[in-house]
Formats: sequence, structure tokens, C-alpha cells
Amino acid sequence: MKPILLIAVNFVREQRWPILVLQFWVLGLAAASLLLDLRRDREDVLLMFKQLAMYGVAFSVFFGGSAIYNERRSRRILAVLAKAIRRRDYLSGLLLGVGLAAGVFSFVLGFTGMWTLGSIGFSTLYLWYLMLCVLVACLLAAAVALFYSTHLNPWMSAALTGLTLSIPGVVAQELGGKWGYVLPVYSLMRTVLRASFQGDSAMTAWPLLIALIELVMLWLAASWVFERVDVAVAVD
Amino acid sequence: MPPPAIQFTEITKDYRALFRKRPVRALESFTLEVETGEVFGFLGPNGAGKTTAIHLAMGFVRPTAGVGTMLGKPFGHHATRRRVGFLAENVALYHRPAENLVRFYGALNGLGGKDLDRSARDILDRVGLLPAARRNVAKFSRGMLQRVGLAQALIHDPDLLILDEPTSALDPVARVAVRELLLSARNRGKTIFVSSHLLSEIELICDRIAVLNHGRLVRLGRTADLLESRERAQITARNLPAGAFPGGAASDGRVTFPVGTPEVRSTLEKIWFLGGEVISVNPERRSLEQLFLEITSGDSDFHKTREHS
Repeated sequence: MKPILLIAVNFVREQRWPILVLQFWVLGLAAASLLLDLRRDREDVLLMFKQLAMYGVAFSVFFGGSAIYNERRSRRILAVLAKAIRRRDYLSGLLLGVGLAAGVFSFVLGFTGMWTLGSIGFSTLYLWYLMLCVLVACLLAAAVALFYSTHLNPWMSAALTGLTLSIPGVVAQELGGKWGYVLPVYSLMRTVLRASFQGDSAMTAWPLLIALIELVMLWLAASWVFERVDVAVAVD
Repeated sequence: MPPPAIQFTEITKDYRALFRKRPVRALESFTLEVETGEVFGFLGPNGAGKTTAIHLAMGFVRPTAGVGTMLGKPFGHHATRRRVGFLAENVALYHRPAENLVRFYGALNGLGGKDLDRSARDILDRVGLLPAARRNVAKFSRGMLQRVGLAQALIHDPDLLILDEPTSALDPVARVAVRELLLSARNRGKTIFVSSHLLSEIELICDRIAVLNHGRLVRLGRTADLLESRERAQITARNLPAGAFPGGAASDGRVTFPVGTPEVRSTLEKIWFLGGEVISVNPERRSLEQLFLEITSGDSDFHKTREHS
């Protein structure tokens, strides 16, 4: 467990600038929205909140899809994998690192949401449920990106991740909502995007549980592939 | 008897690429055993397959055919790497203070607590970086980076050291220090597998050497045996008349000169006939550089590039 934690913390440290920029972006927008008449512009504030939640997922795909590539290109992966570490532990470390970044993001977004949305009647409990949805969606999206990046370059990985995450959404629109549970990033983010001040939405745990189970399956698949690829070759 | 420290058995490695029709063969039917407790030099021109062989042993790449073991376990066995220290060619490390970095790599290998603190400071001292322990390695020279790389490879006191060009960026003083570090590790029973283009270093520290060319093993043996020429000998004699043997080097009344091995007997008879006294007859010793050039002459990337241009 300790090596996984070390790799995760190291990942966050290496990505500290984009992570910090994202947090300052959330904090800056929250501070700016306090200058508005929150009651009059509450729908705008909610829209901004939803946009930021989407950025979180996009950043997670970016982090997950580029982590292995950056390590291989810089050759830093060699000194790490030369230690007594299984490749699946290395992947776990990277995924946990993305999870930590997404966790910080979700916490900051939820915390600022309490200042802004909370002060104009948005349910605080529901807000934190939405943040949990964002966090799990970020983790699942990063796991898909990480799976592809074990054997593809980051551009291919990002493109395929985009396709993989959007197809269940399209199928769910055409054939019914249950298809949205196949990689439920779409379902989770739909919950966030449909949030309103009416507060009549149910807080269901199913999409979260299914997402976590699929996360484990993706991690297993990524580990299986990553155990079998050559890591010490040119990546371009 | 302990198992070989590293064993390659009939290993072939091909690199394939998406848009390349034919794979590139980096190693072909490569077989080699590195015994426990020896310092083994691994030589070859650029592109010979040395780094591929090292990466196979470390489990970074998988063989296309053949098998290999490291410390008795198959290549890539993660727990075995706890007993291995590895320094990559063109060492690449995270940007953070040297001591924190070495502690990070030590912790990845299972060290912790006071052991880790003590080992980190001790190894930084041994590679001469203790005064710079709190400086970020991003600001280090290439030679300093290489020493940090060595420190992270040695921090857990490994049984087997695999070093890819460990002294290429070091100045002569640091090179001597690293040589002493490696010899002290050998004296404590550690096995050292070192790939280098600094042939004088290899000649000084290695018990055995292997030369790789075009992915094939072309020479293997004890360093002393390989450097001794079978074709030529060196004779030292005294009380010889001046100019009796052209090309001889005279010093303190002694003359030393080379002869072809088939002519040794007739030359000795001539010395006795002239009233001289033979002091020694030794196989002529060539340098590792001469041997290397004999084996690989015209085969390096450098020669190929020149031929193309």
C-alpha cells in the first residue's frame, strides 16, 4: 500500500501546477459570483457551477490519459519500475493520484458552492451528493483514459476515451436510461447537469456503486494490458 | 552453489512498430551467465543491444523468444527487484531536493523510518553529494545527476547492481570515487553488471567482460585472458649487444621487444647465442580499447553514418 500512496502523492506533486490553476479558477469564479446579485442571477451561478463540474471530468481524462505517456517520455518511469513494484501497483498509484486531484477539486467546488448556491437556497446535502457524483465520474473517466494510455499515445487515448464515455449516453438516449449505466459517467454528469433549485431530484446510490464496480474492472483490464507492454521504448 | 546473478538463455528481442513492415531485431539468441560476486563488463558499440539486454533483465521489456532469470527468479519478478539496484543510461529523475528524492526511491523499495533517513544521508555522503543534499536536482549538473542516480540505486544495499553507463558524465575525481564505491561493493560480495563505453574503467574493475555486436554475443571471457594476445609475446633480456633486436626498448641495461608467438623459441636461442640472459617472456598485453576495436571495427553507428554520408 505504501508504494501506491507514494506514487499517488508523487503524481499530485508532479501535476501541482494544473491542479492549482484549476482550484484557483474555481475559487476565482466563486469570488467573482459573490459580486453578483445572487438571488437575481441564481440560474447563471448554477450554470457556472455545472460548467466547472464538467471541467473536472475533462481534466481527469487529461491527467489519466497523459500520466503514463509523460513518465515514459521523460524516462522517469524506469527508476520507479526498477524498484520492487508491480505494474498494477504503479497504475493504482496513478489512479489514486488522479483521484486525489479530483477529490481536492470536488471539495473546493463543493465548498465554494456552499458559499454561492447554498446562500440562495440550494440544498447543501444535495450539493455534496452532486460533488460525490462528480468525484466518481472523474475517477471513472480517468480510469478509461488510463486504460487506453497503457498501450496508446495520449491523443489516441483521449479520442477513444471521449468516444467510450459518450457512446453509452447516446445509446441511453435512443434505447432507454438503463444503457447509461454502462460506464455511467454520462448518467452521473446528467444528474449534475439536471440539478435545479427545485430540489426534487432523488439521491440514488446505484450509479455510484455501478461506477465503482466498473472502475475496479477497468483497473484490472488496464493492469493486465500494462503487465504485457514494453515500457522502455520510444513512445513517439 | 548460488544461482547465476543474471542468466539470459537464447533470448531474442524484436521491436515492432505500427507502420514498420519488418521488426527491428535488437538481440538474437543471446545467452549469457553472470556469476554471483563478480564485476561483469558489458561492452558493444552503440545499437549493439546492450541496453535492450539490461531492460529485459529489469523486466521493462519482454523477450520475443527465450527466457532469463535474475537472482534465480524470472525476469520481471517484482520482489526480486528489492535486491537489485539499477541506474539507467541518461538518468532521469523527479525534480526535488536530492535527499528527498533518494528517500522517495528508498521508500519505494520498502525502506522506512530511521533506516531510510540514515541510509539516504550515508549514500549521499558516499557519492559526495551530502553538501548538496537539500538542493533541487533540477539545478544539478549532469555529473551530479548521475551521482544521485547512483545513490538511488545503492540506497537499499542491493545484492546485484545493474549500471548502464554509470561514469559517462563524471569528472576524473568523481570517476575514481565511483570506482572505489563499486570495488568496495564487490569486496562485500555484491554482483555488479556494468555497461560502459569507458573501456579504461571496465579494464580496471571488471573480472569478466562480454562484447555484444549486432545483438549477438561476439566475445566473452576473463578480462585478463582476453587482453593477453595469443599472437604476440614480449621478451625482456639483458647483456645483449646494442641493436641486436631492432625495435627494442632499452632501460637499466634491459631490452624489451615484441615478437610473434611462433618466433619466440628461435628468438630465445638467438639471445643465448649472443650471450644474453632472458629475464621474462610474457604474452603481449593489449588494451581493452584495442581489443574492442578489433572486434567491432567498422560496425559502429559512427562508421555506418560516415559510410552513408
